[in-house]
Amino acid sequence: MSPVSATYLGIPGYVIFWVMFLVTMGLFLPRAYFLYRLMCLGKQENRFDRIGERFKNMLFVVIPQWCTLKSVTSKDLAGIGHALLFWGFSCFLVSYIVLIGISEGLGLHSYIRGGAFETGFLTVLDIAGIIVMLSMIWAAIRRYIVRPPRLEISLEAGFIMFMVFSLMVLHFCTESFGMAALGETHGLPPISSAIASYLVNAGVPKDTLMNVSYGAWWLHYAFILVFTIYIPRSKHLHVLASAPNVFFKSLDRKVVLEPIPLEALESEEPPELGVSKIQDLKWKDILDLYACAKCGRCHVSCPAQVSGKTLSPREFLRHMKDHLLEAGPGLLTKGSNGSGEATPELEGKRLVGDVVTEDEIWACTTCGACQEVCPVNIEHIRKLLEMRQNLVLVHNQMPESAQLMLRNMQTRGNPWAGAQSLRLRGDWTNDVEVKVLGESDENPSTLLWVGCTGALIDRNVLATLSLVRILNAAGVDFCVLGEAESCCGDPARRAGYEFQFQISAEENIETFKNFNIKEIITSCPHCYNALKNEYPLYGAEFKVIHYTELFAELIKQGKLKLTNDVNTLIAYHDPCYLSRYNGVYQEPREIIDRIPKAKFKEMERSKTTTFCCGGGGGHMWIEEQHGTTKINHVRMDEVIETGADTIATSCPYCLQMLEEGIEQKGVKETLKAKDLVEVVEAAMKQS
Amino acid sequence: MNIIVCVKQVLDPEIPPAKFKIDPETKQVIPPAGVPPVISVYDERAVEAACRLKDKNKGKITVISMGSEKAVDVIKHAISMGADDGFVLSDPAFENLDSFGTAYVLSKAIQKIGAYDLVLCGRQAADWGAGQVGSILAEMLGIPVITLACEIEVAGANVKVKRIVSDGFEVLEAPMPSLVTVSSEIGMPRLPAGMRLMMARKKQVPVWKAADIGAEASFLDKGNAHTEVTGLSVPSRKVECEIITGATPAEAAANLAAKLANLI
Amino acid sequence: MDNYKGVLVCGEMADGKLAPITIELLGVGRKLADELGEELSILLLGSKSGALGQDAIAYGADNVYISEDSLFDIYNSDAYTMATANLCKKILPSIMLFGYTDIGCDLSPRLNGRLGGGLSMECSALSIDPATKLLVTTRPVFGGNALATMLSKTARPQMATIRAKVMPPAEHNDSRQGKVIPLEDKVDPSALKVKVIEKIKEEVEGVKLEDAEVVVAGGRGMGTAADFAKLRELAGVLGGAVGGTRVACDEGWVSATLQIGQSGKVVSPKLYLAVGLSGAMAHIAGCLGSKCIVAINKDNEANIFNVAHFGIVGDWKEILPPLTEKMKELKGK
Repeated sequence: MSPVSATYLGIPGYVIFWVMFLVTMGLFLPRAYFLYRLMCLGKQENRFDRIGERFKNMLFVVIPQWCTLKSVTSKDLAGIGHALLFWGFSCFLVSYIVLIGISEGLGLHSYIRGGAFETGFLTVLDIAGIIVMLSMIWAAIRRYIVRPPRLEISLEAGFIMFMVFSLMVLHFCTESFGMAALGETHGLPPISSAIASYLVNAGVPKDTLMNVSYGAWWLHYAFILVFTIYIPRSKHLHVLASAPNVFFKSLDRKVVLEPIPLEALESEEPPELGVSKIQDLKWKDILDLYACAKCGRCHVSCPAQVSGKTLSPREFLRHMKDHLLEAGPGLLTKGSNGSGEATPELEGKRLVGDVVTEDEIWACTTCGACQEVCPVNIEHIRKLLEMRQNLVLVHNQMPESAQLMLRNMQTRGNPWAGAQSLRLRGDWTNDVEVKVLGESDENPSTLLWVGCTGALIDRNVLATLSLVRILNAAGVDFCVLGEAESCCGDPARRAGYEFQFQISAEENIETFKNFNIKEIITSCPHCYNALKNEYPLYGAEFKVIHYTELFAELIKQGKLKLTNDVNTLIAYHDPCYLSRYNGVYQEPREIIDRIPKAKFKEMERSKTTTFCCGGGGGHMWIEEQHGTTKINHVRMDEVIETGADTIATSCPYCLQMLEEGIEQKGVKETLKAKDLVEVVEAAMKQS
Repeated sequence: MNIIVCVKQVLDPEIPPAKFKIDPETKQVIPPAGVPPVISVYDERAVEAACRLKDKNKGKITVISMGSEKAVDVIKHAISMGADDGFVLSDPAFENLDSFGTAYVLSKAIQKIGAYDLVLCGRQAADWGAGQVGSILAEMLGIPVITLACEIEVAGANVKVKRIVSDGFEVLEAPMPSLVTVSSEIGMPRLPAGMRLMMARKKQVPVWKAADIGAEASFLDKGNAHTEVTGLSVPSRKVECEIITGATPAEAAANLAAKLANLI
Repeated sequence: MDNYKGVLVCGEMADGKLAPITIELLGVGRKLADELGEELSILLLGSKSGALGQDAIAYGADNVYISEDSLFDIYNSDAYTMATANLCKKILPSIMLFGYTDIGCDLSPRLNGRLGGGLSMECSALSIDPATKLLVTTRPVFGGNALATMLSKTARPQMATIRAKVMPPAEHNDSRQGKVIPLEDKVDPSALKVKVIEKIKEEVEGVKLEDAEVVVAGGRGMGTAADFAKLRELAGVLGGAVGGTRVACDEGWVSATLQIGQSGKVVSPKLYLAVGLSGAMAHIAGCLGSKCIVAINKDNEANIFNVAHFGIVGDWKEILPPLTEKMKELKGK
């Protein structure tokens, strides 16, 4: 006795069942294949390494729903809702296979139905169904009544919520009416059987009960199939694409930029540099577009968006996906007929200008907040950086401020040069006792890499001098390059001028090797990230540590003693490239913790979810869009909110940005911005 | 069309003024350590002008620079911007030549390179700023010269030049081959496009000596110099700057206004 | 070499009169000629040159060479070079003086190339070495970071171009005597290779930068083109002109023709207000002749404070509006 074994108007239920299924597959599979082929338009990239690790990642992120739960805050509980929906609906997904597919479709109900297994399973489904329904109500209230800024009011979302809710209602109808018809009202599954006993008590005729149950079952089945057809045609494609996207995520680095293979450039038909058209993206970038559920977490954590600029990571992805689906069929035809005759329409539009604006591309500070909060590990930044590469390397198209910076880097080896700087790179070494490589007889194998800003800009030089004095006091044997130091290349890379970065990297690595450097201490997190994560791709084999890591270690070893009282309420601004990019956020807190009398106040956005100072991604030099709030002013408001009297940081850009923010907000009297080294030095015993 | 651009490598004009040191004995500037020399700003714009002409009219750009062997760097810079070829003219005999000597060496190199339609120079060098080499070179080559260009285009067999004058512009035409000196108003030089940057790094830049270009010793003899530097000094111009203050910026401004009212 | 005698000024005319720079050149030329005990000559080209002969004599010239050919009414490098070279070959001047002007800057190096003399551009001082009787020139080099003195031992003529307003103008004395001599050689128009197609005058609002008694200049610190409007407002109140540094011009905040500095205009107003510019030497070279330099800059270490007479350390955004208001008030009185 099952809905499928009955006949309807003389047609066996099985036939109806399988015809419906085949029609659905006929609509689903070609679409899925189409999307797969679109993904294959992207360039190759190996994301099949370390398979075991990838599986582990996926299982441990997706099944426990860490992906959405990680971003739950007291102000945004939606992640819990998603997790409940996921777990609840997963139970139903299993039931669709077991109870509908195997039991009904294959007619194996006699093995499944009627036992303790069924009762148990249905009990789970009952609870799951309630959870799913509640979470749908909650979602609807949030989206349409509470309206948090990250969500958009769309019909698409409403339709899906209605569908999911209806599936649950239909499930309960099927089960409760069916049980009532059979008179099974013995308590489990609890809700269905409660409704069943109500129906029995109400005296509904058995036939009606059975008919409603069958009707609800068929409707349920139909809804599942509609859902299946609808998913790959909507933003809910993320249901299918998220898990693979997490599987294929970048395992080591936040932003994966591969060296441009120079040999390829010398070939007859050199490849297009960077990303110009949609098909210049890598296949994983296209999978990213499928995986995006437009949850908008990136939208509300993007400093460019928050400060009123036109860039929104969510919209950035949406525009590209829309364009992909629009241009895709044309691009695929071109590929398949093999004629190679490229017409402009088939070739696809240029992304920058036609799909996303140049302003958007240049508004990004590469802070990584979007990627950090993204539940499905989408990599926004490299798409954007590769678009910058194309603009700069091929079209010479960039804001003038970016060009001035890049020209300075090229001719003078640092982005600051020009009348702004009254110093030369090595000047600071005259004011402190320090070994300069090539000038002293000893050449320690530990190098302090100062960075352009720490060497050239007066305010940051103070921090550099502090750092050197502390290292001396702690007995660290190190040297500096002085005049011979050059830019690490990071600003050029973030501004898309990839080759300049490549040149800087190669030259610096050669210098390190010539001087037999084994370990490098950096003070600038941008240098740190470049040297530590990016230089190895160019042949570097050095240990790179940030001074905060070194200090924490020296304190543990007792080599660095913090004994002076520092009466202060201190907040710490995590530099993106240190905390988010490299996970160094515990060390600064450990150091502050050891400063006598210093009280620590955590900022609301901190550690890996810190908020950008506005200076990354070349934005120390690239002008912010006119008519928008400055990012550092947004951040300064958050600093002021903490009530701290000292805002410490450990990045030269952040320090400058914070100081400018303090000045502009007129809180000079009550708030000081300091590099953490300066706070540490104040706490050290002055001998 | 064939374009030859003459460029010079100079001390970075944007070094901090406090770092500027001279040796009064040798009458030379002592470059501060670690500051790489750069292409003279106007010469870079001459390269830019050449690249724009090449973008429009096709052709070949050859860059030459007289100086030390380090001048290979400025040639490579020009190549990364869009030049095709380049030569460094370096010889002990070329050191400290005056404008005539420089123009002579350049003219010999240009004759060795061969056919050309246009020679471009910066309006003056960013170091000694004599502002004569282009004009003297044109006289030596026997070709017309137009100075201070802010726009250059090819009009048939002529070159059409928009030239900067104090109250506006002049538009001039001269038959090619001609020499044009380029002013900064031509606009920002391009950032070398990606691939060219790497290509230029690998490019071999030949160094030509006096014998290679057939420069005669008598023209290079310092005794025959047309001009001679007899002294070089750093003027002391430190004035006492009176810093005007006030409780607020507005008050400081008012105090300044009071001072200035007496002046004008 | 000893055949070369006398001082020749290459004169310029403006609005039918001798140009101010030419009167300045006659002043210094007279001094040099007197020291050498030689004659001072001037060359005037253009249809109105005849009328100015006596004027030039009153300003100190012993000989006035003129050509009233209208071919010279518009400056043509080829024509001027030919005419001047022809005269030089005839009268063999020992010293030639030019203004550091559109004409002088174009003509002097070209002529030098043709005659094989020794030329110093942009001179700030001229003198005669008492022992050798050679012309010693002083000129800024390295963007004004250094001063060089130069001379020509054997090459003749010894040539110099001189900045406007560096030399005191000659005094007018109607009782002076001299000769007006028309040029004999004509320039054949068909021999001119360079042709002037058109002249475009760029109308500058208000006072011309070079003539302004007050100049308000902005640099990199200004930030945007819109911010230059604030400078214009102040310049308007003070009856002055606006200029910019190379960066400001490169950024397009202010017209390239208003660039002040080594590669742009050199100004020497009574008051030079430097706003949001740090004072790169190449810029300073363009304003050092100002009687009073006032600097407004955030950075108290900016080089501009080393050459300024008055300064305010602060953000121009907070200082300029009240300053403009206050100046308006004081001007109104």
